[in-house]
Amino acid sequence: MKKFVNDPANFVAEMLEGVYLANPQMLRYVPQFNIIHRADRPAADKVSIVQGSGSGHEPAHVMAVGPGMLDAAAPGNVFSAPPMEYCYECIKLMNSPKGVLALINNYQGDRMNWDMAIELAQAEGINVKSFVIDDDVAVQDSTHTVGRRGVAGNFFVIKTCGAAAERGASLDDLLALAKKVNGQVRTMGVALTSCTPPAKGAPIFQIGEDEMEMGVGIHGEPGRRRDKLKPADAIVDELFKAVSSDLPFKRGDRVALMINGLGGTPPSELYVLYRAAALRCKDAGFEVVRSYVNNYCTSLEMAGASLTLLRLDDEIEDLLAAPADAAWRIF
Amino acid sequence: MKEITLADVEQAIRSAAATALRNEKYFSELDAAAGDADFGVSLASGFRAIEQEWEQLDRSSIGNFLLKVSMLITRNVGGCSGPIWGTGFMRAAALTRDKTSITLADLDKMLTASIEGIQQRGGAAPGDKTLLDALVPVRDVVRQHAADPDADPRAVLAEAARVATDAIERTRDWVAKRGRQSFTGERSRGTLDPGIVAIATMLNDLCSQLGVSRADAAASS
Repeated sequence: MKKFVNDPANFVAEMLEGVYLANPQMLRYVPQFNIIHRADRPAADKVSIVQGSGSGHEPAHVMAVGPGMLDAAAPGNVFSAPPMEYCYECIKLMNSPKGVLALINNYQGDRMNWDMAIELAQAEGINVKSFVIDDDVAVQDSTHTVGRRGVAGNFFVIKTCGAAAERGASLDDLLALAKKVNGQVRTMGVALTSCTPPAKGAPIFQIGEDEMEMGVGIHGEPGRRRDKLKPADAIVDELFKAVSSDLPFKRGDRVALMINGLGGTPPSELYVLYRAAALRCKDAGFEVVRSYVNNYCTSLEMAGASLTLLRLDDEIEDLLAAPADAAWRIF
Repeated sequence: MKEITLADVEQAIRSAAATALRNEKYFSELDAAAGDADFGVSLASGFRAIEQEWEQLDRSSIGNFLLKVSMLITRNVGGCSGPIWGTGFMRAAALTRDKTSITLADLDKMLTASIEGIQQRGGAAPGDKTLLDALVPVRDVVRQHAADPDADPRAVLAEAARVATDAIERTRDWVAKRGRQSFTGERSRGTLDPGIVAIATMLNDLCSQLGVSRADAAASS
């Protein structure tokens, strides 16, 4: 294992402190509960949006805290759900008279801990509701889920709800919006290599030099099948077919197209994949209105990528175009 | 009616912690028969955290004490058992945050809320061969005596320990429908459910500690 790490037990805490130190005006850090939150939130006139999932998927979701995005994040250890206390303290800290929305990715650990935290917060009179994101078309159930997994499509739910919340949307409006966006977004990923959580010190699964895991989960969970590595275009063919046929997307649809890196794939390769995906959209008659090529939801240093399609309407398109800021930026 | 005090609740939790730590290996062995062999270790991790923080626990009310227990269990018991056991304690805590002593009628409501919470969190129902199949008969015993002004909580505890112990063998030949055990389907038939055994063992150990014996058991009506 070759990593930039001190004591592996402090890996997440040191990452979070780094996120804060890089953004001292925009963010605050609460070490006791792994919370990163906007310095200027909660606000009385805006619903607070929070998320907490395992670490190791950065920039999801701690680096997506900022104006027009999440108000706070409470991550757990690498690939581990946040403890219930972190979720509970995060809700309490972000409590606003307009309410709190918890966006939860569909993993059993995340759901149970957030459900308990929400129950406890509601018992104390806090108006908090939750929505579960499940955009991964690869498998129906997995080692960590009942139902589909929540993966890169999470970004679009955060971005649209974040923008709508800034404009004063109510908690119920945001729930309806999250449901709509989650209903229009589909993703599937592929892994070329495994990855190594710092505290574990060993790869989470084995994969041959000439192999790929088609439909992989973001914790290395098995996907649809293990296959021989193929040319980039052939891989995109399979991802595109699985994703576009699921909703299904239709000729004439306006879409956002995302190629998300899983952490260890360089931008050059992501653009090779994007090219192939954009050409397939053209052939299928989808109009690509917005493009996203970057790391959004990763598995540490795993080489791999996922393809996401989101069907747009005027409201979603407008919200995606709204201004936002987060720790994960290039300008 | 003799009330159950915060000190009694503390003693029960302390006793349950000792049971979990003493049986770490045994509960895991039971889990190995049809599950993933980690239940004993997980449960002990949670109760070990309670032992470690014992002096610092919030003792301002029964509910606040149980809420802290819930948080430590949820956080430190691995896998899905943490949130399930944690929810049980949390629901009981929610009803008693302003109480420093409770009646059997309160305890009936607390156990009922715990059972509902565990069902909701884990998706199990009575009959699925889970800890619910020990908790429901225990609650029923408490309920039977809840309206009796002369009921002695110690005698009710002895009776509760008896029905929980009965549940161990009563459910042996059932097929597990929820939890890890259910993944192995028919293989769970003929095995003991570790959650049921844990509840029964905790109640029996509490009886021993309090010097309550079978002979003291309240008569079932």
